[in-house]
Amino acid sequence: MSTNLSIEKPIEKNLSPVEKIKKESRGLRGSIVTGLAEEITGAISEDDQAVIKFHGMYQQDDRDQRDERAEKKLDRLYSFMIRLRLPGGFLTPQQWIATHEIAGKNSTGVIKITSRQTIQLHGLIKSRIKPTIQAFNASKLDSIATCGDINRNVLCSSHPKQSPIHKEVFAYADKISTLLMPKTKAYYEIWLDNEKLVDKSEEVDPLYEDRYLPRKFKIAIAIPPNNDVDVFGNDIGLIAIIENKKLLGFNIAIGGGLSTTHGNKNTYARLATVIGFCDSEEKVLKAVYEIVTIQRDFGNRSDRKLARLKYTLDKVGVDWFKQELKNRTGFALEEPRPYQFTSRTDYFGWHADDGGLMHYTMFVENGRVTDDENVKLKSALLEVAKTGKANFRFTCNQNVILADIKSENKKIIESILTQFGVIQSNESASALRKNSMACVALNTCPLALAEGQRYLPQLISKIEPLLKKHSLENDEIIIRMTGCPNGCARPYIAEIGLVGTAYGRYNLHFGGDRVGERLNKIFKENLDEESILFELNGWLGRYKSERKTGETFGDFALREIKFN
Amino acid sequence: MIGETKFSKLRELIADSSEKDLIWMNGYLAGLISAKVQEEPAQKSSSIQKLTIVFGTDTGNSKKMATSFAQRLKKNGVQVKLQGLDQYRLSDLIKEEYFLGVIATHGDGEPPAAAKKFYEYIHANSLSLTNLKYAVLALGDTAYPLFCKAGEDVDSRLKTLGGTQLLPVEKCDTDFEDAANVWLENVLKTLSSSSTESRIVPTPSKKTSGKKTYEGTILSNVNLNGRGSAKQTHHIELSAEGVNYEPGDSLGVVPHNPAEAVESILSTLRINGTKKFTYRSEEFSLSDLLRKKLNVTYLPERVVNKYASIVQQEIPSIRMDLLNLVKIYPVKDETQFEEVVEILDPITPRLYSIASSLAAHENEVHLTVVKNCFTVNNEVLQGLCSHYLANLPADSSFDFYIHKNSEFKLPAADKDIIMIGPGTGIAPFRAFIEERNVTGASGRNWLFYGDQHFESDFLYQTEIQNYLQLGTLTHVDVAFSRDQAEKIYVQHKILKQGEEFFNWLESGAHIYVCGAKSPMSDDVENALMQVIEKFGNKNAEQAQSYLNQLKEEGRYQKDVY
Repeated sequence: MSTNLSIEKPIEKNLSPVEKIKKESRGLRGSIVTGLAEEITGAISEDDQAVIKFHGMYQQDDRDQRDERAEKKLDRLYSFMIRLRLPGGFLTPQQWIATHEIAGKNSTGVIKITSRQTIQLHGLIKSRIKPTIQAFNASKLDSIATCGDINRNVLCSSHPKQSPIHKEVFAYADKISTLLMPKTKAYYEIWLDNEKLVDKSEEVDPLYEDRYLPRKFKIAIAIPPNNDVDVFGNDIGLIAIIENKKLLGFNIAIGGGLSTTHGNKNTYARLATVIGFCDSEEKVLKAVYEIVTIQRDFGNRSDRKLARLKYTLDKVGVDWFKQELKNRTGFALEEPRPYQFTSRTDYFGWHADDGGLMHYTMFVENGRVTDDENVKLKSALLEVAKTGKANFRFTCNQNVILADIKSENKKIIESILTQFGVIQSNESASALRKNSMACVALNTCPLALAEGQRYLPQLISKIEPLLKKHSLENDEIIIRMTGCPNGCARPYIAEIGLVGTAYGRYNLHFGGDRVGERLNKIFKENLDEESILFELNGWLGRYKSERKTGETFGDFALREIKFN
Repeated sequence: MIGETKFSKLRELIADSSEKDLIWMNGYLAGLISAKVQEEPAQKSSSIQKLTIVFGTDTGNSKKMATSFAQRLKKNGVQVKLQGLDQYRLSDLIKEEYFLGVIATHGDGEPPAAAKKFYEYIHANSLSLTNLKYAVLALGDTAYPLFCKAGEDVDSRLKTLGGTQLLPVEKCDTDFEDAANVWLENVLKTLSSSSTESRIVPTPSKKTSGKKTYEGTILSNVNLNGRGSAKQTHHIELSAEGVNYEPGDSLGVVPHNPAEAVESILSTLRINGTKKFTYRSEEFSLSDLLRKKLNVTYLPERVVNKYASIVQQEIPSIRMDLLNLVKIYPVKDETQFEEVVEILDPITPRLYSIASSLAAHENEVHLTVVKNCFTVNNEVLQGLCSHYLANLPADSSFDFYIHKNSEFKLPAADKDIIMIGPGTGIAPFRAFIEERNVTGASGRNWLFYGDQHFESDFLYQTEIQNYLQLGTLTHVDVAFSRDQAEKIYVQHKILKQGEEFFNWLESGAHIYVCGAKSPMSDDVENALMQVIEKFGNKNAEQAQSYLNQLKEEGRYQKDVY
């Protein structure tokens, strides 16, 4: 491998406005405290909106009510979304009870399980942020760095039955999260009323310095053969290599990222490239850390649309990147080890792990935990938590696993779930619905161009008769929808992807594989519902009659369709 | 009387004139007469040395009139003592010789709050007022059933107590100024011993209303409260050609009864709505009468009692709706209902503080109207006028008049003002702020506002934000009572800002309070006292006199209801 590759660190000119805000934020403090005290608006200043992301919050407003409120001379209905830092997506039953109560008191009441294995609450008005964070803190939960230009929540394959060493792998999520935490004490100072530091040297941050990363940074850990975390959609993907029930180490993949911008040809979705293997924990953590520092130093800080690691990697090339990484870590990565993914779905229903503990995975449509007329899911989960007999694990498909249940307690849990209609609704949901995912989109996401989670369930109800017509009800086709091209629900690696372009209009993507190792492609643009259903009817029919043995819908579509 | 020729000409002219023409002429003549009277050389009222003028006012009209009387008398060399009845030492009454009272009437024949003590004092005590020579000018509004009742009561009580009436009580409608001036001249003539003129300018016993009415057309009518609010507060914009008012003034309007209520009454009565009825010498179709003229809801006991005697049935003496009366205690026939119509009160006008400045919106009036609902005997009743206004669609129109409020006026442009107006109390302050914004007044402006919820009840939020950004508003403090466990109101915000508040007072700021009289304005006044005590280093008594001083200087004005 050549060692003369020399790439200059980019000269910092034409920095994007966010760069200035980060640098001048006094350790992510900004003027948040002043903004919170401002009583005549529910908003905080624009600069602080960038800063508060690093504390795990987004300012949003109810877009459904914008026009109506303007006429009423009322300001936009601002509120905040808060997202927890839950490495690997785990809560104790006590923590779930606390979350349930906090959600009821301070937010819309809906607990939203995200596509990144954590939970978020919506609709917190400004004055409720502090009580919310304080209550979470009392349950040892925080929201540090779950948004913003920084390492976000770290994912890990969720199901304990995945491997006897699930626990060992799972621990990495927490270690990586801790390793990449910012050093500023702003969070504690602003939200938890901790005393202000006199000696700021404690806050010196060798990793993030005062500029943090050029853009968001995502890390996931997958345990083959299930790619439930969509490991290749992350800036860093770690693939556990296990032999004879022993963890040998991890393959490291870098440069995944799904967000694109409509009409910007320089943006693209990219799957991560596997660049090597690391055996010890020390080396894995070191490699992860230095991949982040390379991105910190070489990422694009003038155009935020081109700032993710995937663009950096394509700019400098894989070879140079590996060399630079070696320079920084002091060791070279080994050749990647073989692995195989065979699925990407959650293990619905009851499953036992190697140790004999039971786990029940339930389908949560779009991750929204709430009570509706048919299923009292939120009440059910509260009752389960109150027994203290199950932990809560969240999957990257926005579902819940009631986990680590002793076999003698299975009956109690099951009877609660039956009592609130959860088991019945899980059993009646189609395979397509269970493998569907949509982002939040309207009415709160400021980026949304079209509906997401409010609309996909209805659309699926219209697709289900088509599946029935073609006898495909049990085919686990993966369908995902987002309200904009940023890809939060990872539509670019679905077999059927729907990416919002305008209200009621979607680009229809076909051709992703079932395990998340291949991007799909745009089949047709700007379709309305009628056209979407027309296309699906035709292609599902052809798939049923013309597919090869064992062929998935995504593979069939790729083989049959001539994409532009 | 005038000569036959003149009189026939006058009759001709009258026959040829519309009602509006007549109203105008009436005003014109009255103005002409009063101007002439004033041009006359000052009366030599050698027999009077001293005279007391008292006034009982809520809106300032009585005070305004009494003050102008005092000025006129002073010019004539009379020593005048001018006092508000809230300040008047009651024990002085038996010592008075010449005594003029200007007394307003509020609500259902009530004296204004400021005159209450006096009113009760003279009615509760058997004083001997044989030295007293007095005259009462009663101000009121003919639209109310008990027109000028408080003034009449005072007049007759003073007579009962032995006083000598200089002139019969003069009852003035809202266009009182001309009639009041004529009255004063008559008083002066009566007092003047040198006057050879015994003729007194007669005043018509039945007055035609001469107040200027405007036709307002709804430009927009928007509920300002957001989703989930317990309230419905309508911002109503009217266009009205030639309308004239100042910030702080109110709009008066006679609401119509809801069509459904009228329908129910008609169908219970089984009388055709087109049938003509006479009410106060005017003829109306019954449905028009019930819809636009007569108060049919929540009739006062005295009307219920009269109804009982007409239908000759035992009816408990409690407030009731006409619908319930005709349902439970039916009238015998149409003729009997004609009698009932005669005893019903007219719908009284309601006043709303105007929420706009003419300088900002030419030929427009804006209102802030909260839909009132109140519970009586477990029954939820709707405020007649607020519902009437809130339900008016765009392009519909209604008649209104302007009610001046000289006791609630902006100070000179360079003075600072502090406005305290929770809920619909914000209305006149929107007018104040607009006015000061348009005219570029240099004084600073501080607003205290409050309501139940920040999200849904922050009236005029975006406007207030803009004025703050523009610098027209210097400070804004808001209190939303139900967004947290403990209730927070404007008075708490005043206390919180006490030091700065007191600094403003010390540098000459004017305080304005608008909204609910109780408990809001009392709580605010308490807070003011506390602020003055604490930051002015004063005891309670000193603080009270500081506040009294503010009142006297016109620096503490209230428009509360």
